[in-house]
Amino acid sequence: MNSFLVILISFFISIALTISTFPLGSFSPDWIHLFLIYWILAAPKSVGLVVSWIIGLTADVVVGSTLGANALVYVLISYIILKTYKTIRYLTVFQQGIIVLFLLIFKYTILLWIDKLLTIGNYGLSVYWIPLVSAIIWPIIFFSLRSIRRRYNIK
Amino acid sequence: MERFYKKSTADFYTLVFLLLLSILTITLDYKYNQITYIRSIITDLIVYPIDQLSSMPKSLLNDAIRESSNLDELENTIALLKKENMNLKIKLQELASLKDENTRLRKITKQSLTMSKKQTIVKVINNAASPNKRILAIDKGQKHGIFVGQNVIGVNGLVGQIIETNFLSSKVILISEPTHTTPGQINRTGEKVLINGSEDSQKLSINYAKVGIDIKPGDIISTSGIAGRFKSKIPIGKISKVYNNPDRRFSEIDIEPFENIGNMSELILIWDYKPQQEKEKINE
Repeated sequence: MNSFLVILISFFISIALTISTFPLGSFSPDWIHLFLIYWILAAPKSVGLVVSWIIGLTADVVVGSTLGANALVYVLISYIILKTYKTIRYLTVFQQGIIVLFLLIFKYTILLWIDKLLTIGNYGLSVYWIPLVSAIIWPIIFFSLRSIRRRYNIK
Repeated sequence: MERFYKKSTADFYTLVFLLLLSILTITLDYKYNQITYIRSIITDLIVYPIDQLSSMPKSLLNDAIRESSNLDELENTIALLKKENMNLKIKLQELASLKDENTRLRKITKQSLTMSKKQTIVKVINNAASPNKRILAIDKGQKHGIFVGQNVIGVNGLVGQIIETNFLSSKVILISEPTHTTPGQINRTGEKVLINGSEDSQKLSINYAKVGIDIKPGDIISTSGIAGRFKSKIPIGKISKVYNNPDRRFSEIDIEPFENIGNMSELILIWDYKPQQEKEKINE
């Protein structure tokens, strides 16, 4: 199967997971961003900044935040990963989990900052649970997406 | 080395371009509400189909349960419904005369008629359409003429209002959302109050009522129509508890809503009331 199609379908799955875990509130993992982080680490040539921006805009629509807020942080974090993926790849999954934790804390800090700056009030301090839950769930996503990537030989 | 340098600068310029584009979209969305159609397109193409797909197992299960209910039960239900129908018809006769009287009285006082003529029943496709707010997604949108601010009710009382319309679906904010405020009034005294949602989805509250206000458990609250957001006289709920603490400036009052807000599968949209535009905003 075309690698583009596999990645696209995986993003659809991540959106479905996001929508179905809305009732958990701030205790639901950031599925879309975890999937994106994995694909950037694994296939930095196919998933780049522009893809990150589009995914971020979609995430904005899905969670109902100001259009562009998520797109901005997605691009920023993708840039950090694109510049360091060679190092991050050689870390163990748990070390990667810690990197994910700090990246997502950074992400939600910027999102909160944008939110407060525009006085919208979409987010509260409880969003800091999301990075923690996401970091805990990262190994599961890593291994499942890696098996998919190996099966369809995506580079 | 040179190739590496070129790639690096290209990445950098893409980053700067995309960041500026993000800031532009944030500004457009926040300040001018100009790009809501982007939101609509993404919702209709991506979120709506996924919503439909993910709600499929639930609806299939419901269908299966309905199929398996046996004949006896159905007969019982029919008998019950017949009885209820008769009672309702009797009540309707009373209502018709009251309506006539009401119309006549309103003509005398030259007030506008407030009677619903057209209603639309919509299905809830997602009971939790936002991670941090009490927002529902429904299966009708701009295609069916739904507009932002449209009042959403259930058979028993007020549920919420439309806050976002896409081509095929819309979003409803519930009155039980803690950041949402509904202008209401106590039917018995006519006192105006502000009703907020609370953490508990089955409870509304009045946070800013003076201590000693004439209010007691059992009083019925309905919308007041002030601020032009909601049509007036839509029932909201019943006062369940009044906490009078003389040390505090305001007494806390709990309201039990008539509708099982947040756990509904069908909602009703009313058409005879269009919320007034926020005039202050336009004047600015």
